[in-house]
Amino acid sequence: MTNDEVVIEIRELKKIYRGSKTPALSNISLSIQRGSIFGLLGPNGAGKTTMIRILCGLLQTTSGDVFINGYSITKNIRLIRNFIGVVPQEIALYPTLTAYENLSVYGGIYGLHGHELKKRINELLILAGLEKNRHIQVKKFSGGMKRRLNLIAGILHKPEIIFLDEPTVGVDVQSRTAIITSLKEINRDGATIIYTSHYLEEAEELCNFIAIIDKGKVISQGTLAEIKQVHYNKEKSLEEIFL
Amino acid sequence: MMRALLKLIYKDTLVLIRDRGGLAMLFIMPAALVLIMTNLQDSTFRSINESGIKLILLNEDNDSLGLTLENEIIQSRLFKVYKQIGNKIPDEDEVREAVASGRFQIGFIIPKGATQLIRSQIRNNLAMLFSPENMPVSAGDSMYFKVYLDPITKISFRETLQSHVREMTTRIENQIIFSELSREISMRFPMAIRKPILLQKEAIFYKEEYATKEDNKVIPNSVQHNVPAWTLFAIFFVVIPLAGAMIKEREEGNLARLLTMPCSYFSIMLSKVIVYLIVCYLQYVLILAMGVYLLPLFNLPPLNIAGQLDVLSVMALAVALAAIGYGMAIGTIATTHQQAAIFASISVVILAAIGGIWVPVFIMPPVMRQLSVISPLNWALNGFYDILIRGARFSDILSTCIYLICFASACMLISIYYHRFKKEHI
Repeated sequence: MTNDEVVIEIRELKKIYRGSKTPALSNISLSIQRGSIFGLLGPNGAGKTTMIRILCGLLQTTSGDVFINGYSITKNIRLIRNFIGVVPQEIALYPTLTAYENLSVYGGIYGLHGHELKKRINELLILAGLEKNRHIQVKKFSGGMKRRLNLIAGILHKPEIIFLDEPTVGVDVQSRTAIITSLKEINRDGATIIYTSHYLEEAEELCNFIAIIDKGKVISQGTLAEIKQVHYNKEKSLEEIFL
Repeated sequence: MMRALLKLIYKDTLVLIRDRGGLAMLFIMPAALVLIMTNLQDSTFRSINESGIKLILLNEDNDSLGLTLENEIIQSRLFKVYKQIGNKIPDEDEVREAVASGRFQIGFIIPKGATQLIRSQIRNNLAMLFSPENMPVSAGDSMYFKVYLDPITKISFRETLQSHVREMTTRIENQIIFSELSREISMRFPMAIRKPILLQKEAIFYKEEYATKEDNKVIPNSVQHNVPAWTLFAIFFVVIPLAGAMIKEREEGNLARLLTMPCSYFSIMLSKVIVYLIVCYLQYVLILAMGVYLLPLFNLPPLNIAGQLDVLSVMALAVALAAIGYGMAIGTIATTHQQAAIFASISVVILAAIGGIWVPVFIMPPVMRQLSVISPLNWALNGFYDILIRGARFSDILSTCIYLICFASACMLISIYYHRFKKEHI
């Protein structure tokens, strides 16, 4: 599903948090192709969440820039927000609202309304296997159900580019499989997915491009095959190479 | 933009109404506060005459002075007079003990021979006036009424009582002086006065009237004073749930998610302003309705809002905006729920205290009086008093409303710029 068109270009991106001497991200440059599932992998504290937060405009860069669809995030973030979808690491849902109400709020903010909004919510509730729980308050959901709802809340408006920050963390195998399947489906519809995880086997299954970062630096990038070739271990898994 | 704002309002409304406890706190607590505080303060606000202070009277004189004074005390609506304790006329020790034990607030003893003593003093004085060459060696003993006061009574209360007693005794003393003087004159000049002159009535009177703007006929009472004071105290307590909701939204990650969407921080805040403005307005309507319809059922005077509803509503909205702005600033700057709850509640109590909600500003020490001008609750309270007691119209309270809206705007700007600052400096 990928093509050669670069949808996200990260140039010399640097982030140093206030009061910290070591950079969270150190001169990172990456290109992400349209239609790809790009895995941003690394251990906890590597800088994955910082990178995602910068890409979706929640954090400012110390230096460098990011271009999404040709627009600079430092200058055109308001415009960029219209065609990105974000699935944060935490369950960013209103616990006292039902699944339907949460999706209605987020969909409405993206400009969906009326029949179109209802139809889209129904589609996604079916995709996440939550159609029977649509009128139940989110606080009564299991962890896996919340994760699935958290995911579909970020893709309601059919964004071109989706940022997912560890969407499968802390969920059971069943929910993880459901999320991975959903992501593949969304990607088949043309969305570019930028996905962070510290589960390397999950990335192997899902991603067609991978960047491995550690201590704020990219230590390896390319397709799965290219990374394995660089590390002379075609037979080994990513986990075996990097652990 | 508009559609996103409507969805944000829908979301904030749902979040608010699903929090039943919080909602109860926003409406039931202020209603209870107004009901309790107005009832409590009603007794202290009423004229002292209406309170019926319990007085135990021991008249050991039983002559004209004692009887006149006793009669004055009984006729005065100031006291509920008792002459017996347990069907027995008490002695002085029993009177003192009864007051000390709190059964009576005041014990009044007219000493034996009081009439005789005062008469002889006055006669001596008159003798000095008419025949200074026959001046008595001694002016005679002074006469003392013994007044026992309950030690827990406040100084102002004691002073009021003493002033009433002094007024009565002075009047009686004057009458005796006058009658003795006329007797003396008629003795010395039998042709000048055919019959004794009596002191008919006082010559100086006071005509009291409340100074109000326009032709306001509202009589100040505890409800007119307390309902606005506690209403705005209650409105300001919206700061706690508002700041709490903002912190919760931030902690749950919903704020971050919203900020990745095509809606600005300003619209997220604006939605809260609109929802909480409606809440504050409903609080105000509820408390006003209580003042008009419920408080009279508790033997309190009804709140008089005749013809002032429009001005009151404008004032309530300005107060609500100030409270919401303050809540937003706290919700943005505080890092935890506990921090916000403690700071918000204590700061509102302090602002209320220095603003004159509990103690009128004019009786505060000079430093506190100067401090009171920094409290938006003070501006608001004066605004409400202007409307409800002084009969002010919109033009009279315009400046107060502008101050409150400026305070709200300043707080909201602090909130927006602090959010931006944090994003840029993290």
